[in-house]
Amino acid sequence: MQTLEGIVTVVQEGRFLLTTDDGRTQLLVLSYAAAAEPAQLAALQRAQSRVRVACTPAPDQIGWVARRVDLLDAAA
Amino acid sequence: MRDAPGPGPDYDGPTYYDRPSLKPAPFNTTVVGGYIFLAGLAGTAQMLAALAHRARPRGFRRVARTGHALSLLAPTLGASLLIYDLHTPQRFANMLRIFRRTSPMSIGTWVLMAFSGSSIATVAGDWLGRVPGLRWLRPVGRAAELPAAVSGAALGTYTAALLSATSTPLWAAAPRALAVRFGASSVASACAALSLAERQADNHRTARDLDTIALAALGVELAASLACRRRWRALGLHAAEDTPAGAVLMHGGADLVGTAVPMTLHAAALAAPPAASRRGSALGSLAILAGSLCLRIGVLETGDATALRPRESLGFAQPKNLPRR
Amino acid sequence: MPVTAEGSVQTVHVHPRARDYPGSFLDGVIPQEAELTCGTRIEPGKSYGFFTDTTLCIGCKACEVACKEWNALPADQIGFTGMSYDNTGGLSANTWRHVAFIEKRGPTGTRQTDQAAFQSGWLMMSDVCKHCHNAPCLEACPTGALFRTEFDTVVVQQDICNGCGYCVPACPFGVVDLNPLDGKAHKCTLCYDRLKGGLEPACAKACPTDSIQFGEVPVLQARAEARVEQLQQLGVAGAHLYGAPEGEGATGGLGHLNAFFLLTERPETYGLPPAPTRPANRVAPGLLAGLATMAGLAVTALALLGGRR
Repeated sequence: MQTLEGIVTVVQEGRFLLTTDDGRTQLLVLSYAAAAEPAQLAALQRAQSRVRVACTPAPDQIGWVARRVDLLDAAA
Repeated sequence: MRDAPGPGPDYDGPTYYDRPSLKPAPFNTTVVGGYIFLAGLAGTAQMLAALAHRARPRGFRRVARTGHALSLLAPTLGASLLIYDLHTPQRFANMLRIFRRTSPMSIGTWVLMAFSGSSIATVAGDWLGRVPGLRWLRPVGRAAELPAAVSGAALGTYTAALLSATSTPLWAAAPRALAVRFGASSVASACAALSLAERQADNHRTARDLDTIALAALGVELAASLACRRRWRALGLHAAEDTPAGAVLMHGGADLVGTAVPMTLHAAALAAPPAASRRGSALGSLAILAGSLCLRIGVLETGDATALRPRESLGFAQPKNLPRR
Repeated sequence: MPVTAEGSVQTVHVHPRARDYPGSFLDGVIPQEAELTCGTRIEPGKSYGFFTDTTLCIGCKACEVACKEWNALPADQIGFTGMSYDNTGGLSANTWRHVAFIEKRGPTGTRQTDQAAFQSGWLMMSDVCKHCHNAPCLEACPTGALFRTEFDTVVVQQDICNGCGYCVPACPFGVVDLNPLDGKAHKCTLCYDRLKGGLEPACAKACPTDSIQFGEVPVLQARAEARVEQLQQLGVAGAHLYGAPEGEGATGGLGHLNAFFLLTERPETYGLPPAPTRPANRVAPGLLAGLATMAGLAVTALALLGGRR
């Protein structure tokens, strides 16, 4: 399991783009087993909060599966 | 069984590089097949319990009680299998948001709810009705018998409509024959389970009666099986014949083990004196149960195979196969 | 330059409202931008769809890329198919536009090595969710996650879908797919979010040849019929519509397809079923035959049991 830290910049359904601190953008899909709901992603994007995402590579895709999303600072 | 076969050779027209033009159902065939089997068994056991009660209230009391107990398979193990097969299982309750009459899965959800509620009432009447202070449960249980039987009959066969109301060629090709087949197999499996319980209690006469009903159901299943096969062959759907799942589960499991073998065993057992027939009858009953499970898994597996075969799916979706108005 | 139905060349007009936005940078989204990009005002209550004219497709896959970009869909089905220029393979949970490439075969069944000038040996077609009038996926959905939007399109609500997967075999076109990673069903939303903002769907906006046209379904249908007539006159005998009301592709009770196509070959060539059916029509026969079987066997059982009273 890898961790990425950054800001959610784009949200579509359960998928989101995370721009990490080094300026790279990663595409993630929220796992069905994650505690977060897809609807919560939009709120993270609006708030531009920093999040930490625990993720694994998505099989046969260029992207990641987000297993866990943690808020790093409540208001940014 | 009015799904008349339309004659015609197999499809030999173009395809898109032989790539599938349909997607197979993402169901786990063993899990969903297991549910269909359990739903059929539990539903018809409840129906037979009510019938037995009506026909001979005294002689069949045990059959009724066993039938009530078997019905609990649906709300417990059956429902668990359904939830396990969801890809977002924590949202299982979303099934109860709506009722949609075009969706047999929605219809089935509510049938299962009705069946579960009334079945639990029948069992409560049996098990707790003698406890002082809970005697009121007995009339409640008796009143629940009819709704349990009716919803049980639906539970035993709606799964065929669930498969037919898709675009998977093998399932969509013969909606009526498949429903008759599933229904008859459900009745046979419930008779088999009840007969095994009666034999266990040395109640051979009742077991013979149940075996006779099973024999009648197997006859109907055999006819429906032949009708399905004729229809599939006429439409160029060969997955039930030329895939390993078709050979093992449909031919070997459903037809041979599930129908031909128990028909022979039960017929022989019925010709013999009641007590002497116990081993043959028990073996036949076990074969029915195994065959009934094989039938459901086999239909799911071979249906998925036809969805993945563009020649079979495109051949099925030809104008000549459109239903006549 | 677009050609009118009469075959005359039409001059390209700039929409008068475009003059209101002369700068390179905008403060925000242009209200009703679709009016500027495709001449369509997007209003709730009207029926919107795609008309995909395969004779104009050049196989650039801009639609595939635009769709993936807008909808944040990951690249999937990685690898080479080895059969044509189509390495996308097909529609999936993460691929909502798929350009099919069919190399025409000569009379002997092999690749044609000579071609008339300016002719192509390839058929190209951008496949997409058809947004059926009587949508089998929607009719199958037991949770109500699949719904019909105010734009007459069919969309999966991600906050409701529980991944039962019943919509997948229900679709007669093999469009809807389940993503096992997030456990939900996915398909083209006809850019529901863009429509709500007055924007033309990403694929149609990106299409450089207007092979994909977005608009109100009745308008598109009329335009498509005129286009077929024009192509017929030009000698393209095989030109026909797939998904027009009650026509090929919209048979068996599907009504019509909101996303419909102009094809020049048999639909099977593109992997499309010529005569799909509406699965919901099989619910009643299946249920009634099953219940009749149960009733018949119940009467038999009662006769057998009662006979020995």
